[in-house]
Parts: sequence; structure tokens; C-alpha cells
Amino acid sequence: MLSKRPVAVLLILAVLLAGLAPGVMAQEPIKLTVLTHWGEERLLVAQQAMIDEYVAAHPNVSIELQTVPFEELLTRIVTSRTAGTSPDIYHIYNLWLPEFTNGGLLAPMPEDLAAWVSENAAATSVVGVTYNDQLWGVPTEVNTYLLLYNKRLLAEAGYSEPPKTFEELVEIASAITKKDETGATTQTGFAAITGWDSGVVHPFMALLFSNGGEYFNEDFTEVAFGNQAGLEVFQLYQDLLDSGGMDTSISGWDFPNGTVGMIIMANWWRATLRASENIDYETEVGVAPIPVGPSGTESSTLAYNWLWSVDANSPNQEAAWDFVKWMNMPRGEGEPSPMGNFLVNELGAIPSLLPDQAAFAEDLGDHFLAPFVASTAYARQEPVIGGSQEIKSLLQVEIESLFTGMTDPQSLIDYVVPEANAILEEFRAGAGG
Amino acid sequence: MRPPNVSINGQARWRPASWPSSGLMRRRMIWGYVFIAIPILWLLVFSLGPILFSGWVSLHRWDMITPVAQMPYTGLENYDYIFTRDNVFPKALGNTFLFAIGGVTTNVILGLAFALLLNTKIRGRTLWRVLYFLPVITAPLALGVIFAFMFNRNYGVINNLLVALNLPRQGFLNDPNQAMFVLIAIAVYQYVGYYIVIYLAGLQDIPQDYYDAARVDGASYWQELWYITLPLLRPVMLFIIVTNTIGALQVFDLVFATTGGAPANSTMTVVLYMYNTAFKYSRMGRASAMAFVLFGIILLITIVQLRLFRDRTTA
Repeated sequence: MLSKRPVAVLLILAVLLAGLAPGVMAQEPIKLTVLTHWGEERLLVAQQAMIDEYVAAHPNVSIELQTVPFEELLTRIVTSRTAGTSPDIYHIYNLWLPEFTNGGLLAPMPEDLAAWVSENAAATSVVGVTYNDQLWGVPTEVNTYLLLYNKRLLAEAGYSEPPKTFEELVEIASAITKKDETGATTQTGFAAITGWDSGVVHPFMALLFSNGGEYFNEDFTEVAFGNQAGLEVFQLYQDLLDSGGMDTSISGWDFPNGTVGMIIMANWWRATLRASENIDYETEVGVAPIPVGPSGTESSTLAYNWLWSVDANSPNQEAAWDFVKWMNMPRGEGEPSPMGNFLVNELGAIPSLLPDQAAFAEDLGDHFLAPFVASTAYARQEPVIGGSQEIKSLLQVEIESLFTGMTDPQSLIDYVVPEANAILEEFRAGAGG
Repeated sequence: MRPPNVSINGQARWRPASWPSSGLMRRRMIWGYVFIAIPILWLLVFSLGPILFSGWVSLHRWDMITPVAQMPYTGLENYDYIFTRDNVFPKALGNTFLFAIGGVTTNVILGLAFALLLNTKIRGRTLWRVLYFLPVITAPLALGVIFAFMFNRNYGVINNLLVALNLPRQGFLNDPNQAMFVLIAIAVYQYVGYYIVIYLAGLQDIPQDYYDAARVDGASYWQELWYITLPLLRPVMLFIIVTNTIGALQVFDLVFATTGGAPANSTMTVVLYMYNTAFKYSRMGRASAMAFVLFGIILLITIVQLRLFRDRTTA
């Protein structure tokens, strides 16, 4: 028979252990995996520093960072899901939200975090991370498209100001294009980035919006660029080609080499332009609003977003959201978040969160970024609906056909519009995938 | 012949004719089956399994995110779509055939020509053989990038050469009418070395006596080639045509690295389109149907090739 003293000691120990239980539970090791497309060495170091800081404050958490190039990100997410090796946290492009949410890939966002994002993110970014009236993550970088121009090439062609209308764009572009005596194009007035859907379609959408056009109709049941506004944008490309203002043998990627006069491009290119030895970032790179078309009244453009989201199958959703929250919350009053710091100082991107925009007001006010930041107030989000990606690829191929003389503006519309509408119809009927 | 019977515990049992009588031989045989079972199991799990799964998926709609058990069954809808409503698939199929026909024909002819040359006693024969084989061991992705530079309209070495010859610059990879032919040229450059080696092995298998006898009878070089070399190389040619056709119909990496199917889908091939359909548009059901269609086409072409050559060989 046990004496009373040991029993009492055991009871006290049991009570103490019970009291400690939540603490003990909290210390259970948690491993999180994070997947991003920021694979450059410099960016890897910066991301790892963020992770190390979080892990130091949360000793029970370990975080593995996985990165793949952007072109492989979607494939990696989908295949890892199939293989049952999904990361806990994704950094994703908002255009993928329909497929990801309909397929149950993403975990719903905690209500308090969703409410905080609604209040603290730029309005366009809140729209960008919303699908089916629900927020699916914390917006990170917001990108818009504006007209980048080479001040030196414009000046050499006799222009001191960038074009404000489609007509001026054609005129200035054709004045810039030069060929050598062998027929090789040494510089082109306007260029596009081909072979990449966003490189082709995003500038088209920016021009369409600036021409008073719409990409989809109001209820997203049909594409809306098959009208006069859309035709005028395709005709602009045709005019650029016919006038010699656009030579497709020089890629838009050559803008940093100083052989392209103008290109419609996003702000994330800033780091590349700053690093270029062939174009002076401070004195030669100009940024201007998208030229306005004949059917437009004021310049507009396109915005798209990236966001942090959490996998619905993650066994550590709470910890995952906690890490996402920590990355994006300001460190203190008037201070940026760790993510804001990464976006501005490492990536040269515009953060979606207003506290970060305020904290970096000076950095975001440089001659290149300031117009982009200003454009977030009027930019329109890339529509996030099922089938968007497929329509984008379809449009890319047809615009490239226009570039290579295989189609004309009206034939392009006649072919793309019914094809795109069929894709939308298919997704509406639940037949995507 | 009836299989031998053995009696165990007084009961007659059938045993295979080849069943060894000694314990040692039996153990060896069992181990033999164990060793065979491993690759067979591997084949079933990692080859046949995915093929059957892919066939099953081709009858469903699947975005690879929805759990497999919840894929909606669609019957032959995916096949119906790619044959009747898909505008890109027929174009991709046509491009793939063009690539295969152009590539295989050139490889067969050029490979034979170089092999005949390298089979003679030319100076530096070993060096030439190494040089021709080098592209085979180069990564297609790397080759694709290098050739994209070489065929650039404005600063590519090929266009500079044309200008030096007073010929006009060409768009090459930017020109929808030329891009596929440039890809064929790159593929031939890469793989012809491999086929040269195969041809050389075949040439060296032909007994010298045949040529000696033909020369005694006064045969010319071309007669030797036509009546001795080519007929005896037929099995080698069959191998080259069949394997090259199968590989060409599945071309992916070279196109992915150089053009990505552009411009205007003029270089889009079936496997690249399949990849885009699966991983870009998340339509794995439709992509699986394409894979099965391609499989059927390759199987059919291979059977036809084998029959054609077998008939000629036995004729």
C-alpha cells in the first residue's frame, strides 16, 4: 500500500504537468516548407535571413525554403500536390487562384488576418487576391505596366517627350528604328517580348484599357475585346509593323541593351535596368503612362499581384499562417514589415501593403518607381477567372501571328473571340481541367 | 512431348520439362526467377502502371489538384475534343510529322554518307569520328540556346554569312515558314553523329570478301554500294529509321529551349502541346488523351516500318 506522501507528490506532479501541457504542446517541433520563385543567390540569402530571424524567435519551428524558376512554379505546385509532397506555404501568381481554389488546393485565410489585409492593402491588391468574394492570402508585390522609353534614342530621333497617344507612338517608333547597310536592324522604336504569354498579353491589356476597352464583359461570360476598342489596339500593332516602328527581330528583352526605343513593361524590371551597363538607369530610362488610343479618354493600365497562401493539406496551417503574418506585419509604428523590406530593397518591387508603401515612401519615389506607384491608384487588376490562363495563351499565339504577318487585326478577332468564349463557357459549365 | 511426372509422397505431380532434378539447379532456377521478377516488377510499377493510369485519366477531367477519386468521368470526350474542336492539336501533329520526316530522312542519308566516308582510310579518321559524335553528348537545351543566337536575324553568324555572300537576311527562328526547318537542322546536327556510329558498326560487319569478289567481276564503286552495301545495311537502316522516328515524334526539349512553339504555333509539337495542356492549362485528362493518340500513331508507324523492311528483306 502506498503511503499518503508519495501519492500527494504524484498528484502535484500530475497537476503541474497538466498545467504545463499547452506549453509542452507549443514546443512540439513543427517543420514548414515554403515555395517561392525567387531563386537568385542574392534573393535566396535575403529570404533565408528572414526565415532565420523567425526561427530564432520560434525555436520549435524549422523552415525549409524551396525555390524554382517562375516558368516551373505552376508545374511544381501541381505535381507536388499530386505526389503528396506539397509545401505548406506558397508564393503564387493571382491568375492561378480560380484553379487552385476550385480544386481545394488553398486553405481559407484566418478571419482576423483577412480583415487586416482588407484594411491595410492597396485597393487594387485586395481585388487581386480575392476570388469568389473571399481573400486567399496576403498580397506581396503588385506590378503594373507602363511605357518605358530610352530618353537618348528618343532625343536622337528628335523627340523630347514620350508619346501620349497611339498615333504619336507609331510616329516616334518609326523615327527611332534604324538599319545598317546590310539590312540588319540595329535599333527598333518599339518592341514586344514574345514567346511568353504575359510578355505579349499584359502590354495588350494595358493598351486596351487605355483605349477605353474591356478584357471581359461584366459578368465574365465573354471576352470583350472583339469590339472597336480591341480592333484599334491590334491595328496599332499592325501600324507599328507597317511603319517599321516595330521590328520583331529585336526582342523587348533587348531594351536594357539600349537597342529598343520603347516597350510596355512592368516595374519588376527595375533591378535589371539598374544593373545594365548599356543604358543609364538614372539618365536614360524614362517611364510614362500608357499612350491613350482613339477610343480612350485617359491613360489606364493593368495590375497583377502575387500573394502568400497556405496549402489546404498542410498539417501545420496555424503555424504557416503565423509565419505569413509575421513576414507581413510592420515591425513597429512607421516601420516596414520583413517582407516589405525584402520587396523594396532586394527585389525593387512595389509592396501591396500600405504600411510598407508608407515606410518606403522615399525609395518608392525614385524616378522609375514613382509613376508605377502612382499607377496602382488607377490600374485595373488582371481578371481572375477560370480559363484566364488558357485564353491568355491563345491570345499570345494570335498576337505573335500578327507580329509575323500570318494574320491581320480583324481575322485575329474573328478567330480568338469565339475560341476564348468557348473556354469561358467550358469553365462555367464546370468542365475545366 | 508429355512433361515428366514426379512422385512426391506417393502422389504424381506435373513438373515442367525444364525443371532440374538436382537441388542445386532448382535453387539456381528459383533465384533466377527472383532476379527476373525484380525488373518485371519495376516495369509493372513504373512503366505499365503510369501508362494504365494515364489511359484512365484520359477518360476523365482532372486538374491534378482535385483528388484522383473525385475526377469526373467524361468517357471519350477528351478524344472527341482533340479530334474535332482543338485547333492546335492538328497543327502540332502536322508540325511533328514534318519534323520527323525531315529529320529522319536527313539523318538516314547524311549519316550513311558520312559513315561511308569515315569507313575509308582518310587521314585523322578517329578525330573526325570524335568530332561528329560530340554534339550527341551535348545537352539539347544548351544546343538550342546556342543555335538561337547563331540564327538571330541581326547578329547571328548564319545571317552574317548570308550577307557576306550577298544574300538577303533571313528570319529563321522568327519566321513561321522557316522556324521548323531550322529546328530540323539543329536536330540533325545533334543526332547524325550517333547514326554515323551505328552505320559504321554495320559497315564493318560486311565481310570484305564480298567486295573483293565484286571487284574481280569488275564492279564499280556505285555498283558495290547498290548491290552489296545497301542490301546488307538494311537491318541497320531499319533500326535507325524506327528509333529515330520514335524519338522525333516525341521531340520536346529542343523545341522547348529554342522557340517554345513560337512563332504562331509554327513549331508547336505534340509533346510540347501536351505539356502545355497538362501543366499550363491544368487539363491532365486532355493531355493524357493526346499521349494515347501519339502512342497509337507511333505504334502504327513502327509496325508499318517493320513490315515494309521485313517484306523487302525476305523478298
